[in-house]
Amino acid sequence: MWGLNLPVVLALAAIGGVLAWRRANTLVWLLYTLGALWAFFRFGFAVPIPQSVATIYLGITGLALVCYASSSRERLAETVQPIKRLILEPRYRLALAGLLVALPALAAYNVYADLTVPLEAPGFGREVHPPPPTEMTVHDETIDMATAENPYLHYKHDDPELYAKHLENGRRVYYENCFWCHGDGMGGDGMFAHGLNPVPSNFNDVGTLPILQSSFVQWRIAKGAPGLPASGTPWDSAMPAWEKFLTNEEMWDVNLFIYDFNGYEPRALGQH
Amino acid sequence: MTGHAMGRTQAAATLAAALLVALPASAQVDLGTEEQRAAGKVVYDKYCGQCHGDTGDGNGYATPRVRPKPRDFTTGKYKFRTTPNGMLPTDDDLRRIIEIGAPYTSMPGWPNLTSAEIQNVIYYIKSFSPDFENPDRYAEPIEIPRPLESTEESIARGRVLYEEQACGACHGEVGRGDGASAPTLVNDKGDPIRAADLTQRWTYRGGPTKEDIYRTFSTGLNGTPMPSYADSLEVEDRQHLVNYVYSLGDGDDPNYGTLITAVYSDEPIDLQDGESLDALFESAPMTRFPLVGQITEPGRNFFPPVTSIEAQAVYNRDEIAFRVRWHDLRADTSGRNNPSLEVPMWDEDNGIGGDESDDGGDSDDFFGDFGGEEAPAEDDFFGDSGDDFFGDGGDDFFGTADAGAGGAEFSDAVALQFPASLAPAESPELKPYFLYGDAQNPVDLWFVNLTYGVADTFRGRGSDAIEPTEADIVEAVTSYDQGAWTVTYKRRRSSRAGVSFAEEQYTPVAFSVWDGFNRERGNKRALSSWFYVYTEPSVEQAVAGPVLRAALIVLAIELLVVFLVRRRARQQAAGEGTSGASLTATEAPAV
Repeated sequence: MWGLNLPVVLALAAIGGVLAWRRANTLVWLLYTLGALWAFFRFGFAVPIPQSVATIYLGITGLALVCYASSSRERLAETVQPIKRLILEPRYRLALAGLLVALPALAAYNVYADLTVPLEAPGFGREVHPPPPTEMTVHDETIDMATAENPYLHYKHDDPELYAKHLENGRRVYYENCFWCHGDGMGGDGMFAHGLNPVPSNFNDVGTLPILQSSFVQWRIAKGAPGLPASGTPWDSAMPAWEKFLTNEEMWDVNLFIYDFNGYEPRALGQH
Repeated sequence: MTGHAMGRTQAAATLAAALLVALPASAQVDLGTEEQRAAGKVVYDKYCGQCHGDTGDGNGYATPRVRPKPRDFTTGKYKFRTTPNGMLPTDDDLRRIIEIGAPYTSMPGWPNLTSAEIQNVIYYIKSFSPDFENPDRYAEPIEIPRPLESTEESIARGRVLYEEQACGACHGEVGRGDGASAPTLVNDKGDPIRAADLTQRWTYRGGPTKEDIYRTFSTGLNGTPMPSYADSLEVEDRQHLVNYVYSLGDGDDPNYGTLITAVYSDEPIDLQDGESLDALFESAPMTRFPLVGQITEPGRNFFPPVTSIEAQAVYNRDEIAFRVRWHDLRADTSGRNNPSLEVPMWDEDNGIGGDESDDGGDSDDFFGDFGGEEAPAEDDFFGDSGDDFFGDGGDDFFGTADAGAGGAEFSDAVALQFPASLAPAESPELKPYFLYGDAQNPVDLWFVNLTYGVADTFRGRGSDAIEPTEADIVEAVTSYDQGAWTVTYKRRRSSRAGVSFAEEQYTPVAFSVWDGFNRERGNKRALSSWFYVYTEPSVEQAVAGPVLRAALIVLAIELLVVFLVRRRARQQAAGEGTSGASLTATEAPAV
């Protein structure tokens, strides 16, 4: 439900319930709030949220808790009371000694883990769907990126037989040129995909073809990696500029085919 | 035509059903219902026909550009079966390949298909060959025993069998797919085929487990030179052989990496002193990188046989050395090669077994008239169909190859690629185009043509702008040993015109490998994306110091807090004239 990991959320709520029932001390509540929030971010979602975002949330919450605890003299006294007792009362001497050893050990372990992480190649972000130019020229034909549509798409209703011919030609083009990277089933998992970085586009994905206009797809096909702006890291992408190998019709046909194969429609003009 | 075929198979199915009563239990003709086959056809036409052909003859759109070629279902011959040599596969055998695919071929797994869809496709595939109507072609699956433990004795026994059975004739003495007859292997359609590299288990087409290997020994791969050993080896011997072959493997997984860690050494790097060089590299971690075909720029290479390369690096005060290693079925050391050799368009689809006479002596003519001759050349190539092509070209070619060692027209080669300069600090992500660079951001290639075994340096400003450069001297030594090429490079760390290797620096690096036997040259090559080489600090970073410091700081803070709290309590106690014990009593918490 809402991408939540329900057992974890329920368990955290249950712990909170027990604390309320036992009338826990303010300090226990503060620690519980931080711990529960951390556990919620880390385990509470089906898809974990990024570590950096969780850290920001925890930092803000931590500050708020400090403000809360120190908002009045009484509350502050109540909050630090357990700490005072731990330090002062002889019967907690063993626990205090344990803590004195455990905290430095934890800090030492953290530093050790930081220093010994296996090295990794530096990674850089890239824009997956960078803004296209306003127009592009392919084989002497200039198209307006904002308004251009696949010239053969309308055959789907006007002339299904002709549409099928274009699709079949697109199928030929795809399996003569594209599937090594984009895959037989178009999952972006072709036989060369494991050797490429960035990985090839996955056309099964609902977040790819359906959100793009066919003119955008045509731009990517015709101009390939060399046509990307710097934000799309053109130096890393293996997408060929297919204008070197294919005619305009072949490129529109394969454009048509990848939409049809996946049962998607291009995003229509002016549709957001 | 399809309707006709369906009618025929249906009639046969009825006949088979009628015969079923009289058949031995082993023969199970199950061709499905007409509806199932029709449903299978829908799935087949969408997902399978582009490679296996809409009529099942293995001649789809992709066929000219993939090796091994897609299965021709009309022959009824299947490589991966649990049934004895020459027999038809079971439905489960077919299902297995459809579900998981054949690694490092163009056959992927199809996890998106439901079990029923797969069964329907199986019924449809079986309708392509009349063999499936013939009860005599069916047999019970072989029994695959639990693997024996890989004891030293078992592996040793397997090794003896490997030699006795001459497995090395194709697979090579240590299993790198480089046997003497490896270059001559063809399947029964005349298509060139490669012996498995037994050291790279992850590339085994039939699967990497001991059970998979045992199955291959016991059933053979129909239609290929790989025979069945069911008659010549006892079950237990086959199990020992499995253990030996398994022991040749370099792990289950390629463990592809993204980084070469160059380690520091005080020793001099002497390329001529093989022993000290090996000792130097012993301490350097080895990373395996994936290689794929160059299919972005003209001169495309759709089926590179070399699928990975291993690399390591060491450096000292002045110099840096790289060592790369990859497997190649034969050392091609007599041909020509360089990064900018032109590859005519028609040659993209042309692998081993190509018609050499066409561009052997008169290749210059051909390149000269390239524009004009492109169309007829392409027509000839496809028009004459595979039979003629491989019949003549193939025989000639293999004859030549046998006569002289390494008789290919193009030599094996390798190149390291680095950016000509490092990215500016404000945009560290910037790199040259990974395909030989671009006009603004050139690359340097350390190219070794293995005919000569020396390094030539090129500066690339794009695939059509590669020029020799002599700004830096790169030295290289090469060796070919039982199917493995090893090339060791050395250069001064500081460069006059290219990239310098400073300590603690990440430098982009990419690889290219050319297999002369596969007619690779110029842009027709196996290549990698950009990866990195990291020059590890020469002074080993101490871990103990920072760890101890962190612990002591935390301890000091703790002690300070304890001290302050206690002093405060003592002062309070003194002020109020009460003891610490009564303090806790009065302020007892609510918990």
